[in-house]
Amino acid sequence: MIDTDRHNYIRYRMGRLKHQLWLQNRKRDYITIDTHDKFIIDNLKAGKTCVFGSAGYYLEDLVEDLTVIEQHPIVKKFYPKAQIINHRNEIGKSYEKSFDNFVVINHRNDLWVDLDGLEKHFKDYRSAMKPGCLFFYSFRDTQMLFNRFKNDHYYFFLNFAKQLEKSLDLHLIWHDIKFAEKQKDGAGNYDINENPDTTNGNIKFVFEYQTKTKIIND
Amino acid sequence: MKHTKKIKVIEPTSLYKWAKNFKRIQDRFYDKQFKLRRIQQLEDFCSLNNFKQIYHIEEVKLDLDLSKNIFTDKIENADLILVTHQGYSRFPCNGIIEQINKWINQCPKIYLCLNRHYLNINNEKINLDLPDDYQKAITSWLKQSLPNCIVIDNSRNYIDYGMNFTWSLPDRHFYIEKK
Repeated sequence: MIDTDRHNYIRYRMGRLKHQLWLQNRKRDYITIDTHDKFIIDNLKAGKTCVFGSAGYYLEDLVEDLTVIEQHPIVKKFYPKAQIINHRNEIGKSYEKSFDNFVVINHRNDLWVDLDGLEKHFKDYRSAMKPGCLFFYSFRDTQMLFNRFKNDHYYFFLNFAKQLEKSLDLHLIWHDIKFAEKQKDGAGNYDINENPDTTNGNIKFVFEYQTKTKIIND
Repeated sequence: MKHTKKIKVIEPTSLYKWAKNFKRIQDRFYDKQFKLRRIQQLEDFCSLNNFKQIYHIEEVKLDLDLSKNIFTDKIENADLILVTHQGYSRFPCNGIIEQINKWINQCPKIYLCLNRHYLNINNEKINLDLPDDYQKAITSWLKQSLPNCIVIDNSRNYIDYGMNFTWSLPDRHFYIEKK
């Protein structure tokens, strides 16, 4: 694979729609965010916030005390404040029990795993959370490994999230799980749309670490 | 809030992007020339079986190494319908079967490529006895749902860790012929 800044930037940018927002927001006299961003911003706890693997610098103007962590060194070239890590377990080593909010929005490197793989990622993230930390996590069902014919997708992911209370002390305090609804149009054809939110992910969770006190406002 | 600018809130769908040249862009990330095994398989299937009038339903540009003369833009003239457009994988399962039956009545031979990650996009209950192995389950679903057809699975089995160009050319390949 070609390893130049130009190629690495194109590859990085192709999969990260929020990077586009950052490019635009820098030049405009207003800030564009989407509805899920607003939901997160409205529900953040006061304190330190980490956005991991989600081009989180686009939230810089809106989130106090923001730490942006990425796995792609190219990010450092255009956003020098980014912290670059190789493996997720480095987050906890550098920021042990540091954050009041931990945000991951449709992080492509998190995907292509089964639920056990996802839980391993969460375990790494947890090490950087303070007790009471809010953990906003969203992803797409279409990039997870599971038998799509033999599981009810809704309960497959919801039950996973609920059991994290026992395994990782992450308490599910809010969720939003939506799938495409397919109905024929007037001409008798189906649309070819994917799930309702491929930008942020159609499966959205908010967890609270160790406690369960926060009330999330939709 | 630390900002002074006004905030505009948009729907996440406003950010959607998709390019038909997605594969061409991905190809340029590699310094050595390469060819996807699935592309070669498609080309071999079409040429070695001597198809002369292929109706190709395409989305992402694949740049198949086949003579332009063997493609037709009229489905009624086709001796093979080649479907690489992954939009059909995002139909509900019964919609995919309905579409195959519609095609098979227009042309008795279909080469259908499905993206495994999109199937059952709307989370409907599948009332069939299917294997636990998802790849085998896809084949079983097609075979059970198309009793009027011969269904041959031409796919290569692998676990998709996102490195297999599935979004350029869908991964599950089926030859379907009317009985």
